[in-house]
Amino acid sequence: MNTVPVLRLLLVGTITVAASAQWLNYPTAGVPKTPSGLPNLGAPTPRTPAGTPDLSGIWEPENTLPCDPNDGGDNCTDIPIGEQFLNIAARLKGGLPYQPWAADLSKVRAEGRGKDDPSVRCLPNGVPRANTIPTFKKIVQVPGMLVILDEYNATYRQIFVDGRPFPVDPQPTWNGYSVGKWNGDTLIVETIGLRDGLWLDGMGNPLTDAAKVTERLRRVNFGNLEIEVTVDDPKAYTKPWTVTLNHFIVLNAELIDYICVENEKDASHLGK
Amino acid sequence: MKTIAVLIVAASIAPAQWLDFPTPGVPRNPDGKPNLTAPAPKTPDGKPDLSGTWTTKGGYTGNIARDLKPGELSFTPWASELYKHRQETLSKDDPQGFCVLSGVPREHVVPYPFKILNTTGMIVILYEALHSYRQLYMDGRKLPKDPNPTWMGYSVAHWESDTLVVDSAGFVDNNWLDNGGHPGTESLKLTERFHRRDYGHIDLQVTIDDPKAYTKPWTVKLEFTATPDTDLIEYVCDENEKDVPHLVGK
Repeated sequence: MNTVPVLRLLLVGTITVAASAQWLNYPTAGVPKTPSGLPNLGAPTPRTPAGTPDLSGIWEPENTLPCDPNDGGDNCTDIPIGEQFLNIAARLKGGLPYQPWAADLSKVRAEGRGKDDPSVRCLPNGVPRANTIPTFKKIVQVPGMLVILDEYNATYRQIFVDGRPFPVDPQPTWNGYSVGKWNGDTLIVETIGLRDGLWLDGMGNPLTDAAKVTERLRRVNFGNLEIEVTVDDPKAYTKPWTVTLNHFIVLNAELIDYICVENEKDASHLGK
Repeated sequence: MKTIAVLIVAASIAPAQWLDFPTPGVPRNPDGKPNLTAPAPKTPDGKPDLSGTWTTKGGYTGNIARDLKPGELSFTPWASELYKHRQETLSKDDPQGFCVLSGVPREHVVPYPFKILNTTGMIVILYEALHSYRQLYMDGRKLPKDPNPTWMGYSVAHWESDTLVVDSAGFVDNNWLDNGGHPGTESLKLTERFHRRDYGHIDLQVTIDDPKAYTKPWTVKLEFTATPDTDLIEYVCDENEKDVPHLVGK
């Protein structure tokens, strides 16, 4: 897939300017240190009292896509992004196994430079796209549940880890209905009940209400979290496909509110 | 109080089901219904366990101060004018009407459930309204000196006997404390005292200390009922939003 001329539009909303006020920089408790006193990001994965890996912490996705203003500046977003933000399948050999209509739709969306992207109008990113949005996420792991707090729209997602089954006919939502279970040191999160018409990434790869999304969360060590995402959406793709998204711990910081609709001025300037 | 706000959505549920997974550990009457007057549960460290899903008893959405006697709430002149304007214009400028967050303390007067979660060093409240959250830090930190103003503010909490005392500051300057438009400003210092009276009820005392808007602090009492065997649903205010062009306030 060629790089898409997408979306510096994306993340258009508002980043609260911290001008005179301070950043939130309360020191994170319990960080393992190297002999020189720096955080030891390769230290072993912390565990909960129940013995499972503890995924708690603030995480940011890989965001190493270079910003070159001389190259059109399309990658120069207000928060640095990764290539999977633009195209979730950027590292998938052979590309996505589109159904014909889905191939056509993703082409139309890419040519539209993201103008119909729901997140450009401040709607939720949904599952699994939130994983590639570069706002910080905080995982809060409590007995029976994992909650992901997201700076984007100051919103959250619940993942039930209490053995419950899926609802029979859930109300379709942007986040769907997620249940998780531990398999060794990996939390396997399955999601159904997703709303039709979701975007998987900035170029507009589609996801439909037929989708089942499986996310395998593995905290490799103190500083690294891998989320392997499998999308099984027979309406849009001829077979399931899997990508891996890398996340990195964020220390001595806090989430700040990112209220996309507040003083939003961009929608009226989007392409035709 | 006239109208308005919370005009937006409430997704219609037509053919799909409500979320009705039974909440584990709920004390029940012989008929299987939750026993809301059973004793309040405790956490392993002996403190009251506030966790669960809660819904306001109602009645304060339009006016958080409705129970106050004359003179208990005393506006500064500027705030008096602003409140009058918001009332006369039928809350048409309410940020919540434009899908910006409800903010605090309004999240506790709007008629949507919220979920309290305990975790290490922190209590998290998930709100259905506007699908937002709030973090209450309990790790001994102080309020920051000059926090970036936000709708939810910055909150630290501690226990006083069986009451969770939450101190918050760092609010936006155009806060609405209720749908009627009682103003809150950047000078707002909010104190909330949560007391779980029994299994089924939380009493919340809210003290508003905002010298820019009020000449003295004032306190209101709210009540919440446990809402077991269901869950928060997704509230996406700006999805298919059609109301803003129809706001009628002048």
